[in-house]
Amino acid sequence: MELSIEAQVLLETIVQALVNGISVGCLYGLMCLGLGLIFGIMRVINFAQGDFMMLGMYAAFYAFGGFSLSKILGQSIGPIVAALVAGPVIYTFGILMHRILISRVSGLSAATMENDGHNAQLILTLGIGLVLQNTGHIIFGSSPVSIRSPLSTTAWEIVIIRDQVSVIVNQARLISGLIAVAIAAVLSWFIFHSIIGKSARAAANNITASIYMGIDVDRCHRIFFGLGAGVTAIAGGLLALYYPFQPYVGMEFIIVMYTGVVLGGLGSIAGAFWGGLIIGIIQQMSTLILPNQLQNTATFFVFLLIIFFRPNGIFGKTTERA
Amino acid sequence: MKISRRRAIAGLAASSVFVSGSSFGQEKEIKVALIAPLSGPWARTGQLMKIGADMAIEDINKQGGVNINGGMKMRLVSADAGDSVERAKNAAQRFISQETDVVAGTGAWLSSFTIAVTEVTERAKLPWLTLSYADGITNRGFKYITQTNAISSVQAAAAMPDIVKLAEKATGQKPKTVAIISDSTATPQAFIDPLRKGGFEQLGIKIVSDQIYTPPLADAASIVQNLRALRPRPDFLLFYSTNIPDATLVLQKLHEFGMPQTKLPMIAPGAVHMGGPEMLKNVTPQMLEGTILVLANWTSKKQVSILPELEKRSGEPWITSDIISTYGDMYLIKDAIERCQSLDREKIMDALRNTNLKNGAADYYLGGNLSFDDAGRRIGAPTVFVQWRDGKPQTVSPESDAFMAPLWPRD
Amino acid sequence: MKKNVVKSHLIILTGFISVFFVSMLFINNQYYQLMMTLVLIWSVMGISWNIICGYTGLASFGHAAFFGIGAYTVALGLLNWGITPWVGIILGSMIGSIMAFLIGWPTFRLKGQYFSLAMLAYPLAILHVFEWLRYQEVALPMIRDNPSAYMQFEDNRVYTAIGLVFFAIAMIVAIKIETSRFGLSLQAIKQNEIAARTAGVNVLYWKLKAISISGALAGMIGGFYATIILIVTPQSAFGMMTSAQALIVTLFGGIGAAWGPVIGSAILIPLSETLHAEFGEYLPGISGIVFGLAIIIIILVAPEGIYWKVYDYFHKKSKFDKPLRNGSEEFTPTYINQKIDEFGTSPIILNVKNLTKRFGGISAVQGLSFSIPKGTIVGVIGPNGAGKTTLFNLFNMIYKPDLGSIKFDGQELVGMPTHNITRLGIGRTFQVVRVFNRMTAVKNVVVGAFCVTDDDVQAEKMARDAIELVGLKHLSDEVVSTFSSLELRLLEIARAIASKPKLILLDETLAGLGLNETEQVLQVIAKLRDNGITIVIIEHTMKAMMRLVDRFIVLDHGVVLLEGRPDEVINDPRMIEAYLGQKWSMSRAQN
Repeated sequence: MELSIEAQVLLETIVQALVNGISVGCLYGLMCLGLGLIFGIMRVINFAQGDFMMLGMYAAFYAFGGFSLSKILGQSIGPIVAALVAGPVIYTFGILMHRILISRVSGLSAATMENDGHNAQLILTLGIGLVLQNTGHIIFGSSPVSIRSPLSTTAWEIVIIRDQVSVIVNQARLISGLIAVAIAAVLSWFIFHSIIGKSARAAANNITASIYMGIDVDRCHRIFFGLGAGVTAIAGGLLALYYPFQPYVGMEFIIVMYTGVVLGGLGSIAGAFWGGLIIGIIQQMSTLILPNQLQNTATFFVFLLIIFFRPNGIFGKTTERA
Repeated sequence: MKISRRRAIAGLAASSVFVSGSSFGQEKEIKVALIAPLSGPWARTGQLMKIGADMAIEDINKQGGVNINGGMKMRLVSADAGDSVERAKNAAQRFISQETDVVAGTGAWLSSFTIAVTEVTERAKLPWLTLSYADGITNRGFKYITQTNAISSVQAAAAMPDIVKLAEKATGQKPKTVAIISDSTATPQAFIDPLRKGGFEQLGIKIVSDQIYTPPLADAASIVQNLRALRPRPDFLLFYSTNIPDATLVLQKLHEFGMPQTKLPMIAPGAVHMGGPEMLKNVTPQMLEGTILVLANWTSKKQVSILPELEKRSGEPWITSDIISTYGDMYLIKDAIERCQSLDREKIMDALRNTNLKNGAADYYLGGNLSFDDAGRRIGAPTVFVQWRDGKPQTVSPESDAFMAPLWPRD
Repeated sequence: MKKNVVKSHLIILTGFISVFFVSMLFINNQYYQLMMTLVLIWSVMGISWNIICGYTGLASFGHAAFFGIGAYTVALGLLNWGITPWVGIILGSMIGSIMAFLIGWPTFRLKGQYFSLAMLAYPLAILHVFEWLRYQEVALPMIRDNPSAYMQFEDNRVYTAIGLVFFAIAMIVAIKIETSRFGLSLQAIKQNEIAARTAGVNVLYWKLKAISISGALAGMIGGFYATIILIVTPQSAFGMMTSAQALIVTLFGGIGAAWGPVIGSAILIPLSETLHAEFGEYLPGISGIVFGLAIIIIILVAPEGIYWKVYDYFHKKSKFDKPLRNGSEEFTPTYINQKIDEFGTSPIILNVKNLTKRFGGISAVQGLSFSIPKGTIVGVIGPNGAGKTTLFNLFNMIYKPDLGSIKFDGQELVGMPTHNITRLGIGRTFQVVRVFNRMTAVKNVVVGAFCVTDDDVQAEKMARDAIELVGLKHLSDEVVSTFSSLELRLLEIARAIASKPKLILLDETLAGLGLNETEQVLQVIAKLRDNGITIVIIEHTMKAMMRLVDRFIVLDHGVVLLEGRPDEVINDPRMIEAYLGQKWSMSRAQN
């Protein structure tokens, strides 16, 4: 099939935008998944989520460089493992945060608080975020860094129509995207099929009933919080492969994360992932019709549309009762 | 600078008093202010400016201090402009109110911060220097501000003909088409607007693609894809970014999509960040090789005697424009004070505006001549080309300051 | 009584402003003057946020939208059209208010967290639009000719004085709201929006009013901010930290209290700035850490803010502090005059025909038809999930039925807004009683009377009448935090009858009460009926109901299972089967 030059260009541009959107979107999806566990299911407002991600990025960075994962596992596998290592590290950090601070304004304690403790959570996590950012600044310095690996600068060219239309897929992004999907799948399975996962979902859904069922609500919340932090941290570690970051990088992604979770539907784990994915796609595909600068406005526009016309998001469930 | 014996003894006596620690008289030190982002997302640049200022003051004091009242030491007081215009304004107001003996100052890197700061310093009649090149800073009719670099619109008008000459010399042909990628903030647009409105046309160049993005970029793929779709490929790329992540993402994508500098020469105006050592923490030297940065200031071969030592003291692999400009600012202030032989702010400002130096403080600003017009803008400011060669950014133009001749990247 | 509260607020306000003003005159340091002005600015921003969020319970993270539009109005007005900020600020305030109204109208349809998220999105979307419009750095030009006409002064203290005026305006607005029915209505909405509706509060009206005022204040102070900082950037106008700042100072100082924002602002702004000033040079970042820790600690120690922590310390009495009240006496069951035999003789007040409501695929109620005569007590019973509460929610039009009609005194209720139904004369209680803990009984009840009278004095009288009717007269002016569970139930009933309704719906009023307490409540209900109020009651406590009601309506799986006299219904095998299952009814039949 012989296409005119314009058609080739158009087709290539559209497909490329889609591919870009999906690869960025998978990482967003993983980030949103982490927040989805905390905000979507537990309904805990966490404005330090971006800063947990930042910690994950630095954890991966130092695991790769400082702990010589680069030497042991090479330039290509090293970064991936480093990103995965960030997960358990920040999971533990999240557990600690919950035990010391978050649990005081959420879950059982929040039942008697103003607005279910949401206001307090907001301020508390803002404060935590400030502390993390500035401590990071003091410890890590302010120069933007990233994990340098050949993965970030090599790409595969995938031919769609020979000699006419092909798309270029960056290796780091593709691999990150695949790993993100894998982790999301594993996590979903875990949450839906393991006992801890089921208990935690129950605890998030209806605290009172769960207590009567003998579920240790506090522990379940803590585990979910840790998981939420850890998952977003892995997303950060994967992002670190090609995105230069500094201690204040969290602020750039917090909006994406919240938008994705709401888009996908509060209360749905899979939804959070899809929400992030869709945002990635919208961001990239909106450039086909809008000027680049309005990319973010397009995201907000879609966000508002969803909130107004389908507030449960794409996959959320109606749980509001009069 | 010759110091007469009498002065030397007086200076020695004065400094020994200083060293001995006894205090008499209030004006033993000349205080100079630096307002820059020391925390927050722009902390890195503030840090570099502070390094430059600290080193300059160290050197000045080692050489005997400022030649006034028998030799006075300089002291830097700095404030963190933080991450907001409110913070920057507070810092400026604090200096005015509390450090009342500050005679002049420099800062605050971001044009919006600089505007906020100078609104305060202007009303307090405090002489202020800035290395920013936003037009908005000196078009307010202010009397107490001096902009040591050329403003964006002027830079554009001066730089592009030189680029064209360079390309012509290397390829034998004048470039005919250009693709533009820029971020939406004020300074890049101030540079590119005049080019859009006829600047390029006058040079016989057609703009075949003009993309503006809002920082921070999440992914450069769509932007670069638009370039990839251009047939034929443009003769060069004009890329104006204002931070490292954006520049990194675009560079990576260009390489990935098969458009390295050798295939698509990259001209990067205002890319001070692209000349910093931290770029190498994020991209390989190969990816930067050949990129021509259009800046307002950089190190010069005339400074070659002092550079190695400065590099060592700063702890940085090489001296960037933030460091050298702020270093120069301290010397410029010293020079102004010495010329007017007064610590009065008005007189110092007069002296600054009347600067006409070919060396001394002028050594730290490329271009051979340091002088300012009525609005405080640099007259005859040169455009500086800094090119990445063998893993290090080198000044390649103007010729008098260049370490080596510029290269137009080719296959 | 109310006048005293307003008066004391205003006295304190005058005192505060005077002290502030006088100290300002003595402070020559421009930096401190700037700090004082910023404290006032962020206080007003906090007050603006407080009105829609502190009082109303909505969480808005998007006030920067109104603040920013005010700032840009002044900046662009001066730069492009030479409009002096004296006018520009007023314009900014108006635009802020209109924008708030326009944003509020559609967004109020969203529930809880969706509302907050939408509010979060607006300023950020606007931020990007302004960047795209190339308004990244709008600097206010310096006017050298007649600067004071353009709000440019050499002496920073003039700015502080102007700031004081804006602060006074904002505080007076806040105080007026807090001490009027406006504030009480907002508080009722915050407590439980649905209950507020059934108490007759026109929720949308009050919310729109609140957000418009909030937007006006934010726009006003945003415009003033522009004249202080002299440059407006999209980030400083619409950024997240601008919204966050309003929130932080209010939550820190005291949410829902007029004085909260200024307390928070007066502590946090200087603290943050001092940290930056002292440490910014030597250890950048340390100020952020200390500030972050400060707000973490405070929010853990005083989650509602400093003001309430201090208030509670001085005011709070526990349940065990109060003197013993008659609740401990034995209550002898007295005879309740039922109208079992005269049931059909009075005119019908509530007529239900073929009422059906479906949720998804499930019919909560289906084809319900019955009528209720005036001045009787009807008990709605049935196993859990039978549709009893749904039925009540349909009466109040909290749900709209899919089929059928409800006629109250001849008037069709279907499609009517809830608060209008209350105005017509239907009152309602809810199972979970939520009260204004720090307020007196009268204050709690008076909200119920607002829908039938515009006169606050009359409303208070109606509230007191209602409180007397339920037997709590001696506790009228007691703070409700000391009330026992029984007293709270009676208070809930009082609020429902404050508007002198013709019919009230009681939802499981007796749940969890002991014998004595049940007895007391039964007496009250009977008294209500004797006063001419028709009563429909959902209850599980059979023994009590047997003595109280004139008729039972038994629901099961959304349909009327049977209807009839208490003694008939109780022995009907269908009833037993519904509650206990087939086995029981069969074994009973066998016996």
